[in-house]
Amino acid sequence: MCSQVTYKNRTRPIPLGLMVPVILLVLLTSLPLLYIIIRAQEAGWSHAMSLIFRARVYQLLLNTLQLLAVVTVLSTLIGVTTAWLLERTDVPKRKLWNALVTLPFAVPAFISSYSWISLLPQLEGFGGAVLVLTLCNYPLVHLPVAAALRGMDPALEETSRSLGFNRSQTFFKVILPQLRPALYGGAILIALHMLAEFGALAFLNYETFTTAIFDQYYVAFDGASAAMLTLVLLLLCLMVIGLELLLRGKANYAIERKGSPGMQQLIKLGWVKPLAVFALLALVTLAAGVPLGIIGFWLLNGTSSVFHGQEVWSALITTLSFGFGGALLAIVFALPLVFLAVRYQGRLSIMAERLPYFIHSLPGLVIGLTLVFFAIRYAFPFYQTSPLLLIGYAMLYLPLAQSSIRAALIQVSTQLEEMARSLGKNAFSVFMRITLPLIAPGVGAGLALVFLQIMKELTATLLLRPTGVDTLATKVWEHTANAEYGASAPYAALLILVSGLPVYLLTMRSFTRNTAHA
Amino acid sequence: MSNARRRSLKLSTLALSTMLLFSPLSANAALTIYNGQHKTATLALIDAFTEHTHIKVETRQGSSNELAHQIVEEGKRSPADIIYTEESTPLIMLANQGLLATLDDQALNNIPAEYRDQKGQWVGLLARSRVIAYNKDRTATDKLPTSVYDLTDAKWKDQFAFVKTSGAFQKQLSAMIKLDGREQAKAWLEGLQKNGKEYRNNKAALDAVERGDIPFALINNYYWDSMAREQGADKLKSGLYFMGTHDLGDLITVSGAAILKSSNNLDEAQQFMAFATSEAGQQILTDKSAQYPLNSKVDTHGLKPFSELTPPNDTLDLGEYSDGKAAIELLQEVGLL
Repeated sequence: MCSQVTYKNRTRPIPLGLMVPVILLVLLTSLPLLYIIIRAQEAGWSHAMSLIFRARVYQLLLNTLQLLAVVTVLSTLIGVTTAWLLERTDVPKRKLWNALVTLPFAVPAFISSYSWISLLPQLEGFGGAVLVLTLCNYPLVHLPVAAALRGMDPALEETSRSLGFNRSQTFFKVILPQLRPALYGGAILIALHMLAEFGALAFLNYETFTTAIFDQYYVAFDGASAAMLTLVLLLLCLMVIGLELLLRGKANYAIERKGSPGMQQLIKLGWVKPLAVFALLALVTLAAGVPLGIIGFWLLNGTSSVFHGQEVWSALITTLSFGFGGALLAIVFALPLVFLAVRYQGRLSIMAERLPYFIHSLPGLVIGLTLVFFAIRYAFPFYQTSPLLLIGYAMLYLPLAQSSIRAALIQVSTQLEEMARSLGKNAFSVFMRITLPLIAPGVGAGLALVFLQIMKELTATLLLRPTGVDTLATKVWEHTANAEYGASAPYAALLILVSGLPVYLLTMRSFTRNTAHA
Repeated sequence: MSNARRRSLKLSTLALSTMLLFSPLSANAALTIYNGQHKTATLALIDAFTEHTHIKVETRQGSSNELAHQIVEEGKRSPADIIYTEESTPLIMLANQGLLATLDDQALNNIPAEYRDQKGQWVGLLARSRVIAYNKDRTATDKLPTSVYDLTDAKWKDQFAFVKTSGAFQKQLSAMIKLDGREQAKAWLEGLQKNGKEYRNNKAALDAVERGDIPFALINNYYWDSMAREQGADKLKSGLYFMGTHDLGDLITVSGAAILKSSNNLDEAQQFMAFATSEAGQQILTDKSAQYPLNSKVDTHGLKPFSELTPPNDTLDLGEYSDGKAAIELLQEVGLL
């Protein structure tokens, strides 16, 4: 039903009011690529090549790929298991578990890692990085897979069973193929996160391209070398995105049918039930219990926790206004891109819509460097002001807004719009009065998602923020980098609290709606 | 389509436009300091300065190298009035680029000549020694190396920690290049890479020593000294070890500050520099950070006396290696950066 858009109209010309913002956005989102090219040019291509082909880069490549592969696979296994347990079996208190299992989503990875490190400093290195990042990221698979399981047509499974397939055959032959789009979507997000992750890996003392780019900048201030590492990182992103397209192509035979979700028959776990409950308990304890417990402990006992009420308050207000402002800006950027892509399919719209996804996989630091570079040269009044930071946020998280809005927009029929237009309204007012109100839920979800990401953003914020301004995340970073765990605790606790709100809204939404677009 | 929805839409648009126009967060203070030094001590100094002079100060925190190069990129329009860095290296780089103003005599006269720029474009504020912090349960002082060069020997494999991103580590490397040549410095780095364990910052390396994860670490004295002040030296499992052989392992490094030529608040900036070098200012910095004051009238509360330190000879002025460039290139060449 929702697998194909049938009303595309290639011949209709793109209105100027849509064309101009889209072209501006394409230019804006190409800036990071332009920045990398300019830096490489400055260094000279032969020097650039020597910066790329050295032993260090090979080591970073190995580190990065290992982490990416192991965390993605483990998170996917955990996410699919929890989703299946909570949607398809008779585990007790399923709603409560569902909330608990998604809780780690509200704990930023760098906070989770510092709490683990302050508990068990031996966790440093690859093992610790895999543990902490897996525990932080599995909800990215759990959420969409659970939603897909909920929306699945039970008739298919019944048919399979009636044909004599047993439970596990049914799972692998019937259920799993239908889960693929949701599962791949989540896994790709995790893989891309691994490429861009900085804060958590800094605490865990594990080097990847992103931490190395950070060092190039903060230690050597070597723009050329940082840019060359970024170039390799970009190629990795391209590979991940390419892999997704490949997998998605293969998965097409499993058309996601939005059947009547009806009542699913729950599988009776029998003697395995206590085991399943124990596993869930262990998972939640490790993923949410440990970080929350440790932050609570430091909050109460930290030796360095002199509570500066005024500072905490101003960091909270700054964080909320940056988060809200950046999220709104991302929505404003996303609307024309999505509208163009859905209503006027063509080469420009495909490129315009895809470019932000590409940028999204870059670390915040690179977006930060880009905007500093261009602002100093061509827009100095904006340098070190909040609007520039908000633009940075919007660039970084544009795809989150895009995908939420897109999911809502493809369900809106063009007929209403056409009718309004035939009544003499212009395209813009039709959009504002008819389309926008209809896609409000998607806009809301996008807003919450981007807000959540901005709360946790660290490296672009460090670079672009106005002098003297702190966010909750930069405060946590500053204190924990000096091992002042007590002093960082109030900021960390508040950060989790405010991130919890959008997470709660988003998961509640996926409870009430049965689509797989969560 | 409902009215409520439309209203909420209008509200959001309004909120966004206000957000974009309204940036009170970048309000102008009288002085802007780009601060690469430890924040607590600097903020205490600033608070005292503001109390004395009623001049408001804003700080931008970052790594010294980052902030110095940021000023180069910003050029004449840099919002910074003063830069305060971990090492003298970034200051020398800025002076070479012609971006620094000359300091008033008041500030310069507070600091001995060997710890300030000959042209008066920057002054040292605090000094510290490179040291070895060791865990008493895991090793004894008579088993520790007597030169940092020893660490390339395979017998030290997995016995020590170092912090390649630290400015003082890079200064050590610059001094090595000057004294013993690039080849020997390179061989030393490769030895460290093979035998040592890398940590992201000095505090983390010291904590690892204190816990006993690793026998010893190459750090600066004040990380251990301030921990000893907080918890009592007798309660610590770690101790400080000075080689005492005029070796590079006992190198003295200097943090310092300078005024930007482009500053629009030169007068206030000069006042700040005078205060930072004064007895009162230096006492605050010393109390908060356990580094050696360069104004010799100040009480150091039980640090090993500055006069008893045995730094290597000819390392106060590193000449052409002062800007740290050669050290960074070497770090990149061996693949540590």
